[in-house]
Amino acid sequence: MAVMRMGYMHVKVTDLAEAKEHYANTVGLYQTLEQDGRVYYKGWDEWDHHSVVIEEGGVGYVKCGFKCEKPEDVADIETKAIAYGYPVARMVAGENPEVGDGIRVTLPSGHQIEFYSQMTAWGLEVGTHNPDAFPRHMVGIGAPRLDHALLWVDDVAGIEKFFMDCVGMWATERVQTSLDDDAHTIATWLTIGESNHDIALLEAPENKIHHFAFEMRGWSDILHAADIFSMDDVPIDIGPTRHGITRGTTIYFFDPAGNRNETFAGGYRCFRDRPTVVWTPDQLGKAIFYHSRELNDRFLTVAT
Amino acid sequence: MPKLTVDSGDVTVDLLEDETILEGLYRNGFAYRVGCRRGGCAICKVDLLQGEVVYNRPVAENVLTESEMAEGTCLTCRAVAVTDVRIALREDNLRRVSSLMALYAATRTG
Ligand code: FES
Ligand SMILES: [Fe+2]
Repeated sequence: MAVMRMGYMHVKVTDLAEAKEHYANTVGLYQTLEQDGRVYYKGWDEWDHHSVVIEEGGVGYVKCGFKCEKPEDVADIETKAIAYGYPVARMVAGENPEVGDGIRVTLPSGHQIEFYSQMTAWGLEVGTHNPDAFPRHMVGIGAPRLDHALLWVDDVAGIEKFFMDCVGMWATERVQTSLDDDAHTIATWLTIGESNHDIALLEAPENKIHHFAFEMRGWSDILHAADIFSMDDVPIDIGPTRHGITRGTTIYFFDPAGNRNETFAGGYRCFRDRPTVVWTPDQLGKAIFYHSRELNDRFLTVAT
Repeated sequence: MPKLTVDSGDVTVDLLEDETILEGLYRNGFAYRVGCRRGGCAICKVDLLQGEVVYNRPVAENVLTESEMAEGTCLTCRAVAVTDVRIALREDNLRRVSSLMALYAATRTG
């Protein structure tokens, strides 16, 4: 398997001090580096140097990176992406601190996606020798790891095909205009391994980021996270609730710059021979928010 | 304490010191379409018809441009009134969701 997971998400924030407070003390990430106006973080259950990067000035998506198992896997994606017709640039080790050589693909939506196979090892916060179940002094919601992102793009089908043909992903769930074979794809949830999705794409008039998510250990941690958000006056968009799509339990909330974050737990294991689940627009409310069965007006209008 | 008037003048609330327009309206039991409440998504824009506001945080250029600001667009989740202000909502109506909150807000500020 070439790509293993979404390795990092890099976003802009309007106020670095407030964002640091949020990602370190509310989300509970560990700061591993601050350099050139950027702050690098990892979750306690991650072993690579960083999984979240914030940078001061503006709001919204900068780029994200997917970690491959081997350099040959990156080279393979490079060949396929060029053949697919997407612009590909080489990036050299150190261009992103602590990240090795790789490539940067620019999607037609303008989103930059990086692929790399090496990042400086940092280590799990609980260690690997007779470890405890979680860090004894967890901060805030104690998010263990980065999980996935949902991007707003103008051409879902084309970009989905890129992730499938060039990166080796497959769709676990889709929203499409009808159940007919020639239906138009409105949204897709793409996975590389056994999780429900590593990246999702939603058709939208603007190319932005809808949210990026942290994987939590379960529903009780999601509820606990919501309590912490109230204590820290973090705006909650929706939740705690469940998504019909993926069956994951969730809270959408906003960082101090207005970037949407998510805590996500659950979902089912996915294997490559699993049939793709299909949702139709008339059931979109239930698909997105399984309990209220109603889309709030922010889901399709608010992104950075 | 600046007064905030919405649209044609049928709703007026008092704003507390350093309170954003969004916070003032919600504290008075009103609701309208807002998103992140943190200046990132641009959904809470309204027209500033009268008065002056300042921004309590840096606002991203792609959320609210200088020229929009000059032409009277106001990002209500970050805008703090420095004079009495009058605003008009865009493609949305102000909803009164709690008359109880309005009553208590009036007791507190009035
Ligand atoms: S609610 Fe998002 S910018 Fe004001
Ligand atoms: Fe998500």
